Amino acid sequence: MLNKLATGAAPLVLLFLFCLLGPAIWPTDPAALNVGAPLAAPSLSYPLGTDALGRDELARLIHGGRETLSVAVPATLLAFTLGTGYGLIAGFASGILARLLMRLLDALLALPSLVVLLCGAALLPLNRVTVGGLIGVTAWFALARVVRTEIMSLRERDFAQAARQLGAGPLHMARRHLLPNIARLLTVNATFLLGDSVLALSALSFLGLGVPPPAASWGSMLQSGIGLMDLGAWWLILPPGFLIAGSLFAAASAGRMFLSEASNQQTKVFWFFSSEKNSLPSS
Amino acid sequence: MGRVAEAIATLFFLVTLTFLLAHAVPDGPAYAILGLKISPERLNALNTQFGLDAPLWRQYATWLWHLLHGNLGFSYLQTRPVAAVIGAYAGRTVVLYTVATALAAVAAIGFGWLHGVFYRSWPGRVCSGIELFLYAMPGFFIATVLGMVFGSWLHVLPACGMADLHQAAPGLADRMAHMVLPASSMALFVTPWLARIFAQGVHEEFSRDYVRTARARGVGFGSILLRHVTPNAIRPMVTMLGLSLPAIFSGNVVVESVFDYPGIGWLLWRSAVAHDYPVLVGIVLVLGVATMLGNLAADLVNAWLDPRVTYAE
Amino acid sequence: MGQTLTLSNVGVALQRGGRQVPVVENISLSLAAGETLAIVGESGSGKTTTALAIPGLLPEGATVSGQILLQGQDLRRLAQRALRKLCGARIGMVFQDPLAALNPTMRVGAQITEAIRLHLGLSRRAAWARAVELLNEVGIEGAAARAADYPHMFSGGMRQRVMIAAALACDPILLIADEPTSGLDADLKEQIFTLLARLRADRRLAVLLISHDMSLVARHADRASVFYAGRCVETGPAASMLRSPRHRYTCALLRAAPRLGGGVPAAIRGAMPEPEAFAASCRFAPRCDHAQAECVATAPALTAAPDDEGHIAACFYPATTPVAGMHVPSAAAPSPALSGESLRVEGLTVRYRRGYRSGTARVAVQDVSFQMAPGECLGVVGASGSGKTSLAHAIVHMVPYEGRVLFRGEPLSTLRGAALRRMQLVFQNPAASLDPIQTAGAAIEEALELGGLRDRRQRRARATALLEQVGLANSLLDRLPGTLSGGQAQRVAIARALAAEPALLVLDEPTASLDVSTAAGLLTLLRDLAVRLGVGYIVITHDVAVASVLAHRVAVMQNGRLVEIRNNVPS
Repeated sequence: MLNKLATGAAPLVLLFLFCLLGPAIWPTDPAALNVGAPLAAPSLSYPLGTDALGRDELARLIHGGRETLSVAVPATLLAFTLGTGYGLIAGFASGILARLLMRLLDALLALPSLVVLLCGAALLPLNRVTVGGLIGVTAWFALARVVRTEIMSLRERDFAQAARQLGAGPLHMARRHLLPNIARLLTVNATFLLGDSVLALSALSFLGLGVPPPAASWGSMLQSGIGLMDLGAWWLILPPGFLIAGSLFAAASAGRMFLSEASNQQTKVFWFFSSEKNSLPSS
Repeated sequence: MGRVAEAIATLFFLVTLTFLLAHAVPDGPAYAILGLKISPERLNALNTQFGLDAPLWRQYATWLWHLLHGNLGFSYLQTRPVAAVIGAYAGRTVVLYTVATALAAVAAIGFGWLHGVFYRSWPGRVCSGIELFLYAMPGFFIATVLGMVFGSWLHVLPACGMADLHQAAPGLADRMAHMVLPASSMALFVTPWLARIFAQGVHEEFSRDYVRTARARGVGFGSILLRHVTPNAIRPMVTMLGLSLPAIFSGNVVVESVFDYPGIGWLLWRSAVAHDYPVLVGIVLVLGVATMLGNLAADLVNAWLDPRVTYAE
Repeated sequence: MGQTLTLSNVGVALQRGGRQVPVVENISLSLAAGETLAIVGESGSGKTTTALAIPGLLPEGATVSGQILLQGQDLRRLAQRALRKLCGARIGMVFQDPLAALNPTMRVGAQITEAIRLHLGLSRRAAWARAVELLNEVGIEGAAARAADYPHMFSGGMRQRVMIAAALACDPILLIADEPTSGLDADLKEQIFTLLARLRADRRLAVLLISHDMSLVARHADRASVFYAGRCVETGPAASMLRSPRHRYTCALLRAAPRLGGGVPAAIRGAMPEPEAFAASCRFAPRCDHAQAECVATAPALTAAPDDEGHIAACFYPATTPVAGMHVPSAAAPSPALSGESLRVEGLTVRYRRGYRSGTARVAVQDVSFQMAPGECLGVVGASGSGKTSLAHAIVHMVPYEGRVLFRGEPLSTLRGAALRRMQLVFQNPAASLDPIQTAGAAIEEALELGGLRDRRQRRARATALLEQVGLANSLLDRLPGTLSGGQAQRVAIARALAAEPALLVLDEPTASLDVSTAAGLLTLLRDLAVRLGVGYIVITHDVAVASVLAHRVAVMQNGRLVEIRNNVPS
């Protein structure tokens, strides 16, 4: 089991190590211009080549990763808190309040996340805090629905009825039965959310609406690479692209690991897809 | 009846949300229109011009009133009514979307068969690996790589726009050639999760009792797969297709942006960069309605596929 | 006369956890046209595996040894394709749970015509006409119209008739029916068996019936084979063999089955071994009261009984007296002085709203009134849909109801906390009634904690005592529900209910999900607890025999109404 855990989490750990320890291992300054070597192809001195200004691509990727994570991780935490909180409240509510909360959630889920992101980015002054906040505020809808659905179904299960008959109040139910039962679901979704946040930030940056320069996330590096596509500078396109893809893969792999790990409970099927794509119909 | 009422309630929330979205910014939409460097005088002038100095609830009421009459506002950027702007672009997206989804569905069924039938043996694992790989590829990266390989390097397919501008009257063939890269990018982005869902369905249906009954009758494998398993396994995929309309549209935005395909996604991107907020709000509304219609359509198709489902209530 | 089906020395090994595990061995049976042979056994005995091995329907990775002859032709020597063609046409299969066994998205007519067109090569139209004919033959009214319906549009009994019609599509010579009536009411069971008997006579069918219900087998089969742990332990003429069985397992099984006026069923200790733990010697020996050294050392061969023709049993120390009357006499039957009143139900009505915001309501329970004395056990019996479960749920206040329910003199609606805890429901599905991530010990301790027992150590001690009371070892305290057997889970659920020190226990189909021998143990336990603790029961069950084991009085529900309350006849 430990083995499985390690395999599943390995890509995510590697990704974080790359970003955190990268500067120590490859201490080249990502901002240092080398006018003599613009668009140099990969070589020993520039393992991943240089960009149009002669900046070292590997060093830029390391710093782009730090930039990406510094926005995506807080955004994930925000989305996780909002989604779990809303899901719990909507799952516990009854009557008209429950219906209102559900309709509101439906309305939010009806909007493509990238559309909301673009609208928000168009209307807000862009910096790390606003972009992170924007991603956090728009990424939690699906999680909220999953949590709500799960809570509602747990509440109706026989064991919940049995506990109620023994005199368990709502607080006791939540603490002793409902939350422990969705803990794994939450862990899985937290990792998926990290993938979602990286994707959202990359897409925004790619479309020129991320954190403005000089900060450069992988998404904006990919976009600047495209401008030079016709010059055949593939090393400016593939590495940032694969790193974005790699982080989605890492998040999905870690999520899957949490899914398969341990006990035989929760037969609910969640597979490797992020929470947005996994938004199945409620009840 | 209940479903219609629910849809209307959802729509109402959606409308309100988009309104608030546009007015949630400090200093309101005027700031969004004119940007950071704005003098107080111009701000006031603009606010008066667009009626933005009225109380929020009144603006909301006016806006709703206009909306009910089909008036979505006026584009700052294109100086045309928003409805006309969206109308001009929507058709191209619908075409792209339809082609891409059809491609994806066909690919997903083929792939899902292979994956579902060999779920636990190596072909299934290979399929699962390919799905995971494609899934992890962000849509804009897929589009970029396809554009790079087929457009810039091989020069076999156009990777920009929806027709050749050098030709006076681009024909159907030209338009189709321009459709190949955007449509296959989108299809590549949609296929893995459809295939995954379908494969899971195929795998699960194969373990059901009715399959054993069919085998007992002497029905061969091919017939079981086509006549028994597939009609049952395809339902979750259809539901998913309806539900993931928003997710697919997110992919559509980046694909249209990469290939400069002038559809709704491209319009959205340009409007966002240019702060043309009436268009943004209009697009959000249209998409919201489209999503709901999509869900409804998926329900209807499912009801047709599965005799047990009725929507009497 | 040629036999329709002959199995000789058939063994089956299934792929389990990456290796081949023999689950059935050394099975020899024969079946002639017009004859019904029943295979009787509990779940895990290998009876279904044997049945599926005949037409080659075992899951992938299974290996079959021995000889399977259908009218003299060895099915095991046929290629896959030929086997499919032969079995599809000549063997009809009827599975349990027809709702699952029929394709939900295919019209029933199409499912019947499928085999006809495949094997008889009829045209679409002719095949359809034949399907309608078959539906007529199995007693479906308006067959022509109903052939175009989907399976979910039929009731349970009708669905099984459709299954039978589909099985008969190509005029088979052998019909294999795997638990064809499980999940059906007693009336419907009889109807299905009457139909099968008629078809067998009309068509000279050989019928292989798989069942765990010995009373049905005794009445409807010509011969029966008793399976235990992958072996056939006894074969003989059904009626007489089940009256005077030779094998000790058959005896024990018969005594474990609750029967009307039969007193307390006698439990068989222990449990059937898993295939991985199959012994080479007599597999029943560890549970057998008559086992000697010989039984644990070698396996007994099937030997003929002196009394009866064709009656053979694999037992070193066979029984010699008939089993009837071998139930434990009900000397321990609780007959306390039933005075006073524990529960009074007046004009209880339960309505379920039909769907979302619609005006109509389905009346599940209508105007039910009765009362119970403290310590009394009331059995509530009825067919499915008679409202008995809704009644139980209303009494424990799980669903809204109209009318009055007084528990120990107080209206139920005013009861709170401790007073309400004195009434507990034990659910039908024990596994679902336990939190999947809470250990058995934690579940019981939680009940004690909610009852106000603060001290952790005392709770642990009390939980251990409660487990002991329901006959479980304290080693189960730290086990998760997923690792418990059905019987164990049900006992844990009962222990948890007892932790609330209830005056009344509502038991919803307490044995429905359990095997015969496990169920017998549970019934014995419940009977025992009633005497020791003075707790009253309401036993909801579809099985009158179960009610008669526990109850002082039996109430009969029909279409939501209580039609009769009678005293249970003491045995």
